[in-house]
Amino acid sequence: MNNRKSARVLTMALMAALAVPLTYGVLQLPTPGQADAPAHSNVSAKYIEAGAELAGSENLVTGVLLNFRALDTFGEVLVIFTAWLAVAAVAGGAREAGQDSIPPSPIVDYVIRLLGPFIAIFAVFVIVNGHVLPGGGFQGGVVLGAMLIMLSLVLGTGVVEGVFSDRVWIWLRAAGVLVFAMVALLGLPAAGFLFGLGQAPALRQALMMALELAIGVGGGAVLAGLYFSIAGTHRS
Amino acid sequence: MNLAAEAFSHVDYLVTVALFLIGAWILLTSGNLVKKVIGLNIMETSVFAFIVTTGMIDDGAPPLLAAGVEGPFASPLPHALVLTGIVVAVSVTSLALVLILRVKAELGSVELDEIASAGEQPGAAAPPDSRGHAND
Repeated sequence: MNNRKSARVLTMALMAALAVPLTYGVLQLPTPGQADAPAHSNVSAKYIEAGAELAGSENLVTGVLLNFRALDTFGEVLVIFTAWLAVAAVAGGAREAGQDSIPPSPIVDYVIRLLGPFIAIFAVFVIVNGHVLPGGGFQGGVVLGAMLIMLSLVLGTGVVEGVFSDRVWIWLRAAGVLVFAMVALLGLPAAGFLFGLGQAPALRQALMMALELAIGVGGGAVLAGLYFSIAGTHRS
Repeated sequence: MNLAAEAFSHVDYLVTVALFLIGAWILLTSGNLVKKVIGLNIMETSVFAFIVTTGMIDDGAPPLLAAGVEGPFASPLPHALVLTGIVVAVSVTSLALVLILRVKAELGSVELDEIASAGEQPGAAAPPDSRGHAND
């Protein structure tokens, strides 16, 4: 007990030692919300001025994600796919056939079954309108994954997971990585550099849509896969 | 007086610092592994809030260049960076949770105190190959 008390005092001292320089540093920054801050005057100003034409996306965040910083996004897709691989590897041995330990109430059951298709449509809407409206692949993918997780809470993990075979699930989860790698390599002959989407508007739009769909499907499948792995792990 | 005015105008940033410290406190002092993960998530959230705050503009519009929308626009770059950060945070959280499940299965507890005291008395500790049914 004494040990824990001294640990708390030490942590308190560490927090104070962290708080002082953090607060001091934060107070030196330009006031948030000012339009003439350095954060708004260099790269961001350029993106806002010419980003929509250069990237072919009216949603500048999507333009930055899929065009200017596509390599970052490729890394991001790789990270979440790798996370699923690691989770599946750790959970792997202890899998049990999905059975529900908590029977949901009939109201929850009915509402989730009723909402499922609408959530799926909303997810697709968010994905395919990512270049003009707020949203995009990741956001739509998360909605899709949330729908799958909700359905597996009601129907049981086994039912939702059984919709596709393990093989198909793996391809779906890898969709983001594979399509990104393909589009990256397509840029080499088309524009001379990785992720060069070309200047023809139709082709560029199609490639961006493919990227968005791949991120959405891959992200949703990976999120559902994370849930399946964690929910299927042996409970004691 | 100057400091108070400064603190008032930077209150958004100060809140993120407070959130960061709350998360760090939970991460360091809590003995429960799940609570440690929650503390880590609060720290991550504070960083996201900080980055998004740097990109905002007073009375600005979101960076969607639709017809009829006029600037000033919020900076799109921090939003894209934070999206990357959120994906990494989700990955870290899920991996941590599944490792905690494994710890629970092997050692029978997610409280560091109980794990440590089980380690001190070899009789009470679960043998590592018994898949953790000792304590339940």
